[in-house]
Amino acid sequence: MPHHWFWWLLTAACVVWYSTITVYVAIKGASDIKHMLARLDATNKREAGEKP
Amino acid sequence: MTHFNWLLDGSIVGVYLLATMVAGLMVRKYVGKVEQFLVAGREMDVYLGIASLAATEFGIVTCMYTAQNGYEKGFAGATPGILMALAMAGVGLTGFVIKPLRDSGVITIPELLQQKFGKRIRWAAGVVIVLGGLLNMGVFLRTGGQFLVLVAGLDVRYLEIMMTALLVGVAVYTILGGMLSVLVTDFLQFVVMSAGLILVTILILVNVGWEKLVTTVETNYGAGGFNPFVNPTMGWQYVLFNLMLNTAAVLTWQTTIARVLAAKDTRTGRKVYTRTSFFFVCRFLIPGVWGIAALATLGPVANTLEAMPTYLSTAVPAGLMGILIAAMLAADMSTDSSYMLTWCSVIYNDIMAPFRKKPWSEKRGLFWNRTIIALIGIFLLLYGLWYPLKGDLWTYLGVTGTIYLASISVLLIACCYWRRANSWGAGASIIVSALIPVSYLVMEQLPATAELAKSIGPYYSGIATYVLSAAAMVVGSLLKPQTLSREEAA
Repeated sequence: MPHHWFWWLLTAACVVWYSTITVYVAIKGASDIKHMLARLDATNKREAGEKP
Repeated sequence: MTHFNWLLDGSIVGVYLLATMVAGLMVRKYVGKVEQFLVAGREMDVYLGIASLAATEFGIVTCMYTAQNGYEKGFAGATPGILMALAMAGVGLTGFVIKPLRDSGVITIPELLQQKFGKRIRWAAGVVIVLGGLLNMGVFLRTGGQFLVLVAGLDVRYLEIMMTALLVGVAVYTILGGMLSVLVTDFLQFVVMSAGLILVTILILVNVGWEKLVTTVETNYGAGGFNPFVNPTMGWQYVLFNLMLNTAAVLTWQTTIARVLAAKDTRTGRKVYTRTSFFFVCRFLIPGVWGIAALATLGPVANTLEAMPTYLSTAVPAGLMGILIAAMLAADMSTDSSYMLTWCSVIYNDIMAPFRKKPWSEKRGLFWNRTIIALIGIFLLLYGLWYPLKGDLWTYLGVTGTIYLASISVLLIACCYWRRANSWGAGASIIVSALIPVSYLVMEQLPATAELAKSIGPYYSGIATYVLSAAAMVVGSLLKPQTLSREEAA
Protein backbone atom coordinates (compact mmCIF):
# COMPACT_ATOMS: atom_id res chain seq x y z
CA MET A 1 0.00 0.00 0.00
CA PRO A 2 1.50 3.42 -0.95
CA HIS A 3 2.49 6.02 1.62
CA HIS A 4 -0.51 8.02 2.92
CA TRP A 5 -2.95 5.31 1.83
CA PHE A 6 -6.08 7.38 2.67
CA TRP A 7 -5.28 10.08 0.11
CA TRP A 8 -3.98 7.50 -2.39
CA LEU A 9 -7.24 5.53 -2.14
CA LEU A 10 -9.35 8.69 -2.38
CA THR A 11 -7.43 9.94 -5.45
CA ALA A 12 -7.68 6.53 -7.12
CA ALA A 13 -11.41 6.37 -6.28
CA CYS A 14 -11.91 9.82 -7.84
CA VAL A 15 -10.23 8.84 -11.11
CA VAL A 16 -12.02 5.46 -11.37
CA TRP A 17 -15.46 6.69 -10.19
CA TYR A 18 -15.35 9.85 -12.31
CA SER A 19 -14.29 7.96 -15.47
CA THR A 20 -17.05 5.38 -14.98
CA ILE A 21 -19.80 7.89 -14.15
CA THR A 22 -18.86 10.06 -17.15
CA VAL A 23 -19.38 7.20 -19.61
CA TYR A 24 -22.54 6.01 -17.83
CA VAL A 25 -24.09 9.49 -17.59
CA ALA A 26 -23.14 10.25 -21.22
CA ILE A 27 -25.21 7.25 -22.37
CA LYS A 28 -28.13 7.47 -19.93
CA GLY A 29 -28.28 11.29 -19.98
CA ALA A 30 -28.75 11.35 -23.77
CA SER A 31 -31.71 9.03 -23.30
CA ASP A 32 -33.08 11.31 -20.54
CA ILE A 33 -32.93 14.32 -22.92
CA LYS A 34 -34.75 12.40 -25.67
CA HIS A 35 -37.57 11.38 -23.32
CA MET A 36 -37.79 14.82 -21.68
CA LEU A 37 -38.21 16.57 -25.04
CA ALA A 38 -40.77 13.98 -26.17
CA ARG A 39 -42.85 14.54 -23.00
CA LEU A 40 -42.66 18.33 -23.38
CA ASP A 41 -43.64 18.08 -27.04
CA ALA A 42 -46.64 15.91 -26.14
CA THR A 43 -47.69 18.34 -23.38
CA ASN A 44 -47.42 21.36 -25.70
CA LYS A 45 -49.41 19.62 -28.45
CA ARG A 46 -52.11 18.50 -25.98
CA GLU A 47 -52.45 22.01 -24.55
CA ALA A 48 -52.54 23.57 -28.03
CA GLY A 49 -55.34 21.11 -28.94
CA GLU A 50 -57.35 22.02 -25.82
CA LYS A 51 -57.37 25.74 -26.69
CA PRO A 52 -60.59 26.88 -28.39
CA MET B 1 6.01 29.06 -23.56
CA THR B 2 2.54 27.49 -23.74
CA HIS B 3 1.86 24.33 -25.77
CA PHE B 4 -1.40 25.75 -27.20
CA ASN B 5 -1.53 25.07 -30.96
CA TRP B 6 -3.96 27.34 -32.78
CA LEU B 7 -4.71 24.89 -35.59
CA LEU B 8 -5.12 21.68 -33.57
CA ASP B 9 -6.29 22.99 -30.18
CA GLY B 10 -8.17 25.93 -31.68
CA SER B 11 -10.17 23.53 -33.89
CA ILE B 12 -11.13 21.36 -30.89
CA VAL B 13 -12.33 24.44 -28.99
CA GLY B 14 -14.18 25.78 -32.07
CA VAL B 15 -16.05 22.51 -32.65
CA TYR B 16 -17.06 22.37 -28.97
CA LEU B 17 -18.36 25.97 -29.00
CA LEU B 18 -20.34 25.40 -32.20
CA ALA B 19 -21.91 22.16 -30.90
CA THR B 20 -22.93 23.86 -27.64
CA MET B 21 -24.55 26.83 -29.35
CA VAL B 22 -26.47 24.60 -31.79
CA ALA B 23 -27.69 22.31 -28.96
CA GLY B 24 -28.67 25.28 -26.79
CA LEU B 25 -30.65 26.97 -29.56
CA MET B 26 -32.35 23.83 -30.90
CA VAL B 27 -34.47 23.23 -27.78
CA ARG B 28 -35.92 26.75 -27.59
CA LYS B 29 -39.02 25.63 -29.55
CA TYR B 30 -40.16 23.52 -26.56
CA VAL B 31 -40.48 26.59 -24.31
CA GLY B 32 -43.98 28.04 -24.27
CA LYS B 33 -44.61 28.66 -20.55
CA VAL B 34 -42.81 30.23 -17.61
CA GLU B 35 -42.65 26.86 -15.81
CA GLN B 36 -40.94 25.29 -18.83
CA PHE B 37 -38.52 28.23 -18.95
CA LEU B 38 -37.60 28.19 -15.24
CA VAL B 39 -37.82 24.51 -14.23
CA ALA B 40 -37.96 22.68 -17.61
CA GLY B 41 -41.61 21.78 -17.02
CA ARG B 42 -40.36 19.58 -14.11
CA GLU B 43 -39.41 16.85 -16.57
CA MET B 44 -35.74 16.33 -15.62
CA ASP B 45 -34.66 12.73 -14.96
CA VAL B 46 -31.81 11.36 -12.80
CA TYR B 47 -28.85 11.17 -15.21
CA LEU B 48 -29.52 14.51 -16.85
CA GLY B 49 -29.79 15.92 -13.32
CA ILE B 50 -26.40 14.45 -12.33
CA ALA B 51 -24.75 15.92 -15.46
CA SER B 52 -26.39 19.30 -14.93
CA LEU B 53 -25.63 19.55 -11.20
CA ALA B 54 -21.99 18.50 -11.64
CA ALA B 55 -21.43 20.85 -14.61
CA THR B 56 -23.10 23.80 -12.85
CA GLU B 57 -21.14 23.45 -9.62
CA PHE B 58 -17.76 23.24 -11.35
CA GLY B 59 -16.62 26.45 -13.03
CA ILE B 60 -13.13 27.76 -13.79
CA VAL B 61 -13.35 29.77 -10.57
CA THR B 62 -13.90 26.49 -8.65
CA CYS B 63 -10.90 24.91 -10.38
CA MET B 64 -8.76 27.95 -9.54
CA TYR B 65 -9.50 28.14 -5.80
CA THR B 66 -9.49 24.37 -5.21
CA ALA B 67 -6.10 24.14 -6.98
CA GLN B 68 -4.93 27.05 -4.82
CA ASN B 69 -6.09 25.05 -1.77
CA GLY B 70 -3.98 22.10 -2.95
CA TYR B 71 -0.98 24.35 -3.55
CA GLU B 72 -1.27 26.10 -0.15
CA LYS B 73 -2.58 23.29 2.09
CA GLY B 74 -1.63 20.02 0.36
CA PHE B 75 -4.11 17.12 0.37
CA ALA B 76 -5.80 18.57 3.46
CA GLY B 77 -7.06 21.35 1.16
CA ALA B 78 -9.61 18.85 -0.22
CA THR B 79 -11.39 18.70 3.18
CA PRO B 80 -14.30 21.00 2.12
CA GLY B 81 -15.03 18.64 -0.79
CA ILE B 82 -15.25 15.61 1.52
CA LEU B 83 -17.54 17.53 3.90
CA MET B 84 -19.78 18.66 1.04
CA ALA B 85 -20.01 15.11 -0.33
CA LEU B 86 -21.03 13.82 3.13
CA ALA B 87 -23.64 16.58 3.50
CA MET B 88 -25.07 15.96 0.02
CA ALA B 89 -25.23 12.18 0.48
CA GLY B 90 -26.89 12.63 3.90
CA VAL B 91 -29.48 15.07 2.52
CA GLY B 92 -30.16 12.89 -0.53
CA LEU B 93 -30.58 9.71 1.53
CA THR B 94 -32.81 11.24 4.21
CA GLY B 95 -34.64 13.82 2.07
CA PHE B 96 -33.92 16.38 4.83
CA VAL B 97 -35.45 19.73 3.71
CA ILE B 98 -35.36 18.84 -0.01
CA LYS B 99 -38.32 16.45 0.30
CA PRO B 100 -40.79 19.00 1.75
CA LEU B 101 -39.33 21.62 -0.62
CA ARG B 102 -39.92 19.56 -3.78
CA ASP B 103 -43.27 18.21 -2.49
CA SER B 104 -44.53 21.78 -2.08
CA GLY B 105 -44.29 22.38 -5.88
CA VAL B 106 -42.63 25.80 -5.55
CA ILE B 107 -40.24 27.31 -8.13
CA THR B 108 -37.92 29.04 -5.62
CA ILE B 109 -37.01 28.79 -1.91
CA PRO B 110 -38.59 32.19 -0.94
CA GLU B 111 -41.91 30.99 -2.39
CA LEU B 112 -41.96 28.22 0.23
CA LEU B 113 -40.85 30.63 2.97
CA GLN B 114 -43.92 32.80 2.27
CA GLN B 115 -46.20 29.92 3.30
CA LYS B 116 -44.74 30.07 6.82
CA PHE B 117 -43.41 33.60 7.31
CA GLY B 118 -45.52 35.82 5.05
CA LYS B 119 -44.96 38.00 1.97
CA ARG B 120 -42.43 40.41 3.50
CA ILE B 121 -40.04 37.63 4.47
CA ARG B 122 -40.41 36.11 1.00
CA TRP B 123 -39.38 39.43 -0.53
CA ALA B 124 -36.50 39.99 1.94
CA ALA B 125 -35.24 36.42 1.41
CA GLY B 126 -35.36 36.98 -2.36
CA VAL B 127 -33.28 40.15 -2.02
CA VAL B 128 -30.70 38.41 0.22
CA ILE B 129 -30.44 35.43 -2.17
CA VAL B 130 -30.02 37.60 -5.26
CA LEU B 131 -27.55 39.99 -3.61
CA GLY B 132 -25.38 37.19 -2.21
CA GLY B 133 -25.64 35.18 -5.43
CA LEU B 134 -24.90 37.99 -7.88
CA LEU B 135 -22.02 39.42 -5.84
CA ASN B 136 -20.62 35.89 -5.58
CA MET B 137 -20.97 35.35 -9.32
CA GLY B 138 -19.49 38.77 -10.10
CA VAL B 139 -15.91 37.43 -10.01
CA PHE B 140 -16.47 34.34 -12.17
CA LEU B 141 -15.87 35.96 -15.54
CA ARG B 142 -12.56 37.65 -14.78
CA THR B 143 -11.13 34.62 -12.97
CA GLY B 144 -12.13 32.41 -15.91
CA GLY B 145 -10.45 34.82 -18.30
CA GLN B 146 -7.26 34.82 -16.19
CA PHE B 147 -7.06 31.02 -16.42
CA LEU B 148 -7.54 30.97 -20.20
CA VAL B 149 -4.99 33.73 -20.77
CA LEU B 150 -2.36 31.93 -18.67
CA VAL B 151 -2.95 28.42 -20.04
CA ALA B 152 -3.33 29.31 -23.72
CA GLY B 153 -0.77 32.13 -23.64
CA LEU B 154 -3.28 34.60 -25.07
CA ASP B 155 -2.62 38.32 -25.19
CA VAL B 156 -4.05 39.81 -21.97
CA ARG B 157 -5.43 42.76 -23.98
CA TYR B 158 -8.01 40.42 -25.52
CA LEU B 159 -9.25 39.04 -22.17
CA GLU B 160 -12.23 41.41 -21.89
CA ILE B 161 -13.28 40.96 -25.54
CA MET B 162 -12.96 37.16 -25.38
CA MET B 163 -14.96 36.79 -22.16
CA THR B 164 -17.59 39.27 -23.37
CA ALA B 165 -18.11 37.18 -26.52
CA LEU B 166 -18.35 34.01 -24.42
CA LEU B 167 -20.92 35.57 -22.07
CA VAL B 168 -23.00 36.88 -24.98
CA GLY B 169 -23.07 33.36 -26.49
CA VAL B 170 -24.18 31.82 -23.17
CA ALA B 171 -26.77 34.58 -22.61
CA VAL B 172 -28.29 34.05 -26.09
CA TYR B 173 -29.15 30.38 -25.59
CA THR B 174 -30.17 30.89 -21.94
CA ILE B 175 -32.50 33.76 -22.89
CA LEU B 176 -34.11 31.76 -25.68
CA GLY B 177 -34.32 28.29 -24.11
CA GLY B 178 -34.22 28.90 -20.33
CA MET B 179 -33.74 25.79 -18.16
CA LEU B 180 -34.21 23.47 -21.17
CA SER B 181 -31.21 24.98 -22.96
CA VAL B 182 -29.29 24.99 -19.67
CA LEU B 183 -29.96 21.26 -19.10
CA VAL B 184 -29.11 20.18 -22.66
CA THR B 185 -25.92 22.26 -22.85
CA ASP B 186 -24.98 21.21 -19.29
CA PHE B 187 -25.11 17.59 -20.46
CA LEU B 188 -22.75 18.27 -23.35
CA GLN B 189 -20.54 20.42 -21.13
CA PHE B 190 -20.40 17.71 -18.43
CA VAL B 191 -19.05 15.17 -20.93
CA VAL B 192 -16.42 17.57 -22.37
CA MET B 193 -15.45 18.93 -18.93
CA SER B 194 -15.11 15.46 -17.39
CA ALA B 195 -13.00 14.16 -20.30
CA GLY B 196 -10.59 17.08 -19.87
CA LEU B 197 -10.38 16.76 -16.07
CA ILE B 198 -9.76 12.99 -16.15
CA LEU B 199 -7.18 13.06 -18.96
CA VAL B 200 -5.14 15.90 -17.41
CA THR B 201 -5.21 14.22 -13.97
CA ILE B 202 -3.97 10.91 -15.43
CA LEU B 203 -1.23 12.80 -17.31
CA ILE B 204 -0.11 14.50 -14.07
CA LEU B 205 -0.17 11.27 -12.04
CA VAL B 206 1.92 9.53 -14.71
CA ASN B 207 4.38 12.38 -15.35
CA VAL B 208 4.87 13.76 -11.83
CA GLY B 209 4.16 10.53 -9.94
CA TRP B 210 2.41 9.84 -6.65
CA GLU B 211 5.62 9.64 -4.58
CA LYS B 212 6.77 13.10 -5.74
CA LEU B 213 3.35 14.62 -4.94
CA VAL B 214 3.41 13.12 -1.43
CA THR B 215 7.05 14.11 -0.81
CA THR B 216 6.31 17.70 -1.93
CA VAL B 217 3.43 17.99 0.54
CA GLU B 218 5.49 16.39 3.35
CA THR B 219 8.43 18.73 2.71
CA ASN B 220 6.33 21.91 2.53
CA TYR B 221 3.55 21.29 5.05
CA GLY B 222 4.50 18.20 7.14
CA ALA B 223 1.60 16.32 8.76
CA GLY B 224 -0.63 19.38 8.28
CA GLY B 225 -0.61 18.74 4.53
CA PHE B 226 -2.54 15.52 5.10
CA ASN B 227 -4.57 16.22 8.25
CA PRO B 228 -6.62 19.45 8.51
CA PHE B 229 -6.81 19.21 12.32
CA VAL B 230 -3.02 19.62 12.71
CA ASN B 231 -2.57 22.14 9.88
CA PRO B 232 -1.73 25.56 11.46
CA THR B 233 -3.85 27.44 8.86
CA MET B 234 -6.88 25.15 9.30
CA GLY B 235 -7.69 23.37 12.62
CA TRP B 236 -11.07 22.25 14.02
CA GLN B 237 -12.58 25.69 13.42
CA TYR B 238 -11.84 25.40 9.66
CA VAL B 239 -13.45 21.94 9.54
CA LEU B 240 -16.52 23.03 11.55
CA PHE B 241 -17.00 26.24 9.50
CA ASN B 242 -16.74 24.30 6.24
CA LEU B 243 -19.16 21.65 7.52
CA MET B 244 -21.71 24.41 8.28
CA LEU B 245 -21.02 26.28 5.02
CA ASN B 246 -21.27 23.20 2.82
CA THR B 247 -24.34 21.79 4.56
CA ALA B 248 -26.06 25.16 4.14
CA ALA B 249 -25.00 25.25 0.46
CA VAL B 250 -26.40 21.76 -0.15
CA LEU B 251 -29.71 22.78 1.43
CA THR B 252 -30.18 26.27 0.03
CA TRP B 253 -27.79 27.28 -2.78
CA GLN B 254 -30.39 28.15 -5.38
CA THR B 255 -28.46 26.72 -8.35
CA THR B 256 -28.15 23.36 -6.56
CA ILE B 257 -31.74 23.38 -5.34
CA ALA B 258 -32.94 24.28 -8.86
CA ARG B 259 -32.07 20.69 -9.89
CA VAL B 260 -34.32 19.29 -7.16
CA LEU B 261 -37.12 21.65 -8.20
CA ALA B 262 -36.74 20.76 -11.90
CA ALA B 263 -36.74 17.00 -11.16
CA LYS B 264 -39.79 15.08 -12.34
CA ASP B 265 -40.56 14.00 -8.74
CA THR B 266 -39.12 14.11 -5.21
CA ARG B 267 -37.55 10.64 -5.51
CA THR B 268 -35.65 11.72 -8.64
CA GLY B 269 -34.41 14.88 -6.90
CA ARG B 270 -33.10 12.83 -3.95
CA LYS B 271 -31.39 10.35 -6.31
CA VAL B 272 -29.67 13.23 -8.13
CA TYR B 273 -28.25 14.40 -4.78
CA THR B 274 -27.14 10.96 -3.59
CA ARG B 275 -25.53 9.92 -6.86
CA THR B 276 -23.76 13.26 -7.46
CA SER B 277 -22.37 13.49 -3.90
CA PHE B 278 -18.98 11.83 -4.60
CA PHE B 279 -18.43 14.29 -7.45
CA PHE B 280 -17.84 16.94 -4.77
CA VAL B 281 -14.78 15.02 -3.51
CA CYS B 282 -13.47 14.99 -7.12
CA ARG B 283 -14.34 18.70 -7.42
CA PHE B 284 -11.79 19.52 -4.69
CA LEU B 285 -9.28 16.67 -4.96
CA ILE B 286 -8.67 16.65 -8.74
CA PRO B 287 -7.74 20.35 -9.06
CA GLY B 288 -6.03 19.98 -5.65
CA VAL B 289 -3.69 17.38 -7.18
CA TRP B 290 -3.06 19.82 -10.07
CA GLY B 291 -2.14 22.48 -7.46
CA ILE B 292 0.24 20.09 -5.65
CA ALA B 293 1.83 19.19 -9.01
CA ALA B 294 2.34 22.93 -9.63
CA LEU B 295 4.07 23.22 -6.23
CA ALA B 296 6.24 20.18 -7.00
CA THR B 297 7.25 21.55 -10.40
CA LEU B 298 7.36 25.35 -10.00
CA GLY B 299 8.26 25.65 -6.30
CA PRO B 300 7.24 28.82 -4.41
CA VAL B 301 5.49 31.47 -6.55
CA ALA B 302 4.29 35.01 -5.78
CA ASN B 303 0.67 34.49 -6.86
CA THR B 304 -0.57 31.07 -5.69
CA LEU B 305 -3.87 31.46 -7.58
CA GLU B 306 -1.94 31.52 -10.87
CA ALA B 307 0.40 28.61 -10.03
CA MET B 308 -1.83 25.85 -11.46
CA PRO B 309 -2.64 27.47 -14.85
CA THR B 310 1.02 28.52 -15.24
CA TYR B 311 2.09 24.91 -14.62
CA LEU B 312 -0.53 23.46 -17.00
CA SER B 313 0.50 25.82 -19.82
CA THR B 314 3.78 23.89 -20.18
CA ALA B 315 2.82 20.46 -18.77
CA VAL B 316 -0.09 19.71 -21.11
CA PRO B 317 0.86 18.81 -24.72
CA ALA B 318 -0.82 20.14 -27.88
CA GLY B 319 -4.03 18.25 -28.65
CA LEU B 320 -4.75 17.60 -24.98
CA MET B 321 -4.42 21.37 -24.49
CA GLY B 322 -7.45 21.88 -26.79
CA ILE B 323 -9.45 19.34 -24.75
CA LEU B 324 -8.39 21.07 -21.51
CA ILE B 325 -9.45 24.52 -22.75
CA ALA B 326 -12.72 23.16 -24.17
CA ALA B 327 -13.28 21.45 -20.77
CA MET B 328 -12.69 24.68 -18.87
CA LEU B 329 -14.88 26.69 -21.27
CA ALA B 330 -17.56 24.02 -20.77
CA ALA B 331 -17.19 24.32 -16.99
CA ASP B 332 -17.51 28.10 -17.13
CA MET B 333 -20.38 28.25 -19.63
CA SER B 334 -22.49 25.71 -17.72
CA THR B 335 -21.96 27.64 -14.49
CA ASP B 336 -22.73 31.03 -16.06
CA SER B 337 -25.93 29.88 -17.78
CA SER B 338 -27.30 28.13 -14.68
CA TYR B 339 -26.44 31.01 -12.37
CA MET B 340 -28.02 33.63 -14.68
CA LEU B 341 -31.21 31.59 -14.94
CA THR B 342 -31.35 30.84 -11.21
CA TRP B 343 -31.01 34.42 -10.00
CA CYS B 344 -33.48 35.44 -12.70
CA SER B 345 -36.01 32.96 -11.29
CA VAL B 346 -35.75 34.52 -7.81
CA ILE B 347 -36.00 38.10 -9.15
CA TYR B 348 -39.06 37.24 -11.26
CA ASN B 349 -40.78 34.86 -8.85
CA ASP B 350 -40.11 36.58 -5.51
CA ILE B 351 -38.74 40.13 -5.77
CA MET B 352 -41.18 41.15 -8.51
CA ALA B 353 -44.09 39.25 -6.89
CA PRO B 354 -45.54 42.32 -5.06
CA PHE B 355 -45.71 44.17 -8.40
CA ARG B 356 -47.93 41.54 -10.01
CA LYS B 357 -51.37 42.41 -8.71
CA LYS B 358 -53.01 40.03 -11.21
CA PRO B 359 -51.41 36.89 -12.70
CA TRP B 360 -49.40 37.72 -15.82
CA SER B 361 -49.91 35.94 -19.14
CA GLU B 362 -47.32 33.29 -20.07
CA LYS B 363 -46.12 35.55 -22.90
CA ARG B 364 -45.57 38.52 -20.59
CA GLY B 365 -43.90 36.28 -17.98
CA LEU B 366 -41.48 34.88 -20.56
CA PHE B 367 -40.69 38.38 -21.81
CA TRP B 368 -39.78 39.55 -18.30
CA ASN B 369 -37.70 36.47 -17.54
CA ARG B 370 -35.72 36.96 -20.74
CA THR B 371 -35.24 40.66 -20.00
CA ILE B 372 -33.98 39.91 -16.48
CA ILE B 373 -31.39 37.42 -17.80
CA ALA B 374 -30.16 40.02 -20.29
CA LEU B 375 -29.86 42.58 -17.46
CA ILE B 376 -27.95 40.08 -15.27
CA GLY B 377 -25.58 39.53 -18.22
CA ILE B 378 -24.97 43.29 -18.48
CA PHE B 379 -24.38 43.47 -14.71
CA LEU B 380 -21.82 40.66 -14.91
CA LEU B 381 -19.96 42.41 -17.69
CA LEU B 382 -19.85 45.74 -15.88
CA TYR B 383 -19.15 44.41 -12.38
CA GLY B 384 -17.18 41.25 -13.01
CA LEU B 385 -15.14 41.99 -16.08
CA TRP B 386 -14.61 45.68 -16.56
CA TYR B 387 -14.34 46.42 -12.80
CA PRO B 388 -11.25 44.65 -11.37
CA LEU B 389 -11.73 42.96 -7.97
CA LYS B 390 -9.43 44.03 -5.14
CA GLY B 391 -8.51 41.57 -2.38
CA ASP B 392 -8.54 37.83 -1.75
CA LEU B 393 -10.84 35.64 -3.87
CA TRP B 394 -11.77 32.99 -1.28
CA THR B 395 -12.58 35.58 1.41
CA TYR B 396 -14.77 37.40 -1.07
CA LEU B 397 -16.63 34.20 -2.07
CA GLY B 398 -16.95 33.07 1.57
CA VAL B 399 -18.35 36.38 2.82
CA THR B 400 -20.83 36.93 -0.01
CA GLY B 401 -21.93 33.30 0.29
CA THR B 402 -22.34 33.33 4.08
CA ILE B 403 -24.57 36.45 4.04
CA TYR B 404 -27.08 34.35 2.12
CA LEU B 405 -26.41 30.77 3.26
CA ALA B 406 -26.60 31.26 7.04
CA SER B 407 -30.00 32.94 7.19
CA ILE B 408 -31.71 31.07 4.34
CA SER B 409 -30.64 27.65 5.68
CA VAL B 410 -31.95 28.55 9.15
CA LEU B 411 -35.22 29.87 7.67
CA LEU B 412 -35.69 26.81 5.48
CA ILE B 413 -35.03 24.28 8.26
CA ALA B 414 -37.34 26.19 10.64
CA CYS B 415 -39.98 26.49 7.92
CA CYS B 416 -39.99 22.74 7.33
CA TYR B 417 -39.55 21.39 10.86
CA TRP B 418 -40.39 23.95 13.61
CA ARG B 419 -44.05 24.76 14.10
CA ARG B 420 -43.37 27.70 16.42
CA ALA B 421 -41.10 29.52 13.90
CA ASN B 422 -42.57 32.84 12.70
CA SER B 423 -41.79 36.08 10.85
CA TRP B 424 -40.10 37.81 13.83
CA GLY B 425 -37.58 34.98 14.09
CA ALA B 426 -37.10 34.92 10.32
CA GLY B 427 -36.49 38.69 10.15
CA ALA B 428 -34.04 38.57 13.09
CA SER B 429 -32.17 35.68 11.48
CA ILE B 430 -31.77 37.53 8.16
CA ILE B 431 -30.48 40.67 9.91
CA VAL B 432 -27.98 38.81 12.14
CA SER B 433 -26.56 36.71 9.31
CA ALA B 434 -25.96 39.81 7.20
CA LEU B 435 -24.56 41.93 10.05
CA ILE B 436 -21.82 39.59 11.30
CA PRO B 437 -19.96 38.95 7.99
CA VAL B 438 -20.27 42.61 6.92
CA SER B 439 -19.03 43.81 10.36
CA TYR B 440 -16.11 41.40 10.13
CA LEU B 441 -15.15 42.82 6.72
CA VAL B 442 -15.40 46.39 8.00
CA MET B 443 -13.32 45.52 11.09
CA GLU B 444 -10.66 44.02 8.82
CA GLN B 445 -10.42 47.30 6.89
CA LEU B 446 -10.33 49.73 9.86
CA PRO B 447 -6.84 50.21 11.38
CA ALA B 448 -8.29 50.44 14.91
CA THR B 449 -10.01 47.03 14.70
CA ALA B 450 -7.86 45.19 12.14
CA GLU B 451 -5.85 43.36 14.83
CA LEU B 452 -9.02 42.25 16.64
CA ALA B 453 -10.50 40.98 13.35
CA LYS B 454 -7.27 39.10 12.65
CA SER B 455 -7.32 37.46 16.11
CA ILE B 456 -10.96 36.36 15.59
CA GLY B 457 -10.28 35.07 12.07
CA PRO B 458 -12.76 34.24 9.27
CA TYR B 459 -13.63 30.77 10.59
CA TYR B 460 -14.76 31.80 14.10
CA SER B 461 -16.63 34.72 12.51
CA GLY B 462 -18.31 32.30 10.08
CA ILE B 463 -19.24 29.81 12.84
CA ALA B 464 -20.67 32.67 14.92
CA THR B 465 -22.82 33.75 11.94
CA TYR B 466 -24.48 30.33 11.67
CA VAL B 467 -24.92 29.85 15.44
CA LEU B 468 -26.24 33.38 16.11
CA SER B 469 -28.49 33.31 13.05
CA ALA B 470 -30.13 30.16 14.44
CA ALA B 471 -30.30 31.73 17.92
CA ALA B 472 -31.98 34.83 16.43
CA MET B 473 -34.61 32.61 14.82
CA VAL B 474 -35.36 30.91 18.15
CA VAL B 475 -35.40 34.10 20.26
CA GLY B 476 -37.37 36.15 17.70
CA SER B 477 -39.97 33.41 17.25
CA LEU B 478 -40.43 32.92 21.00
CA LEU B 479 -40.78 36.67 21.60
CA LYS B 480 -43.65 37.07 19.13
CA PRO B 481 -47.10 36.57 20.74
CA GLN B 482 -48.64 33.38 19.38
CA THR B 483 -52.03 35.02 18.75
CA LEU B 484 -50.34 37.47 16.37
CA SER B 485 -48.74 34.57 14.50
CA ARG B 486 -52.13 32.88 14.03
CA GLU B 487 -53.70 36.12 12.78
CA GLU B 488 -50.84 36.64 10.32
CA ALA B 489 -51.06 33.06 9.08
CA ALA B 490 -54.78 33.54 8.49
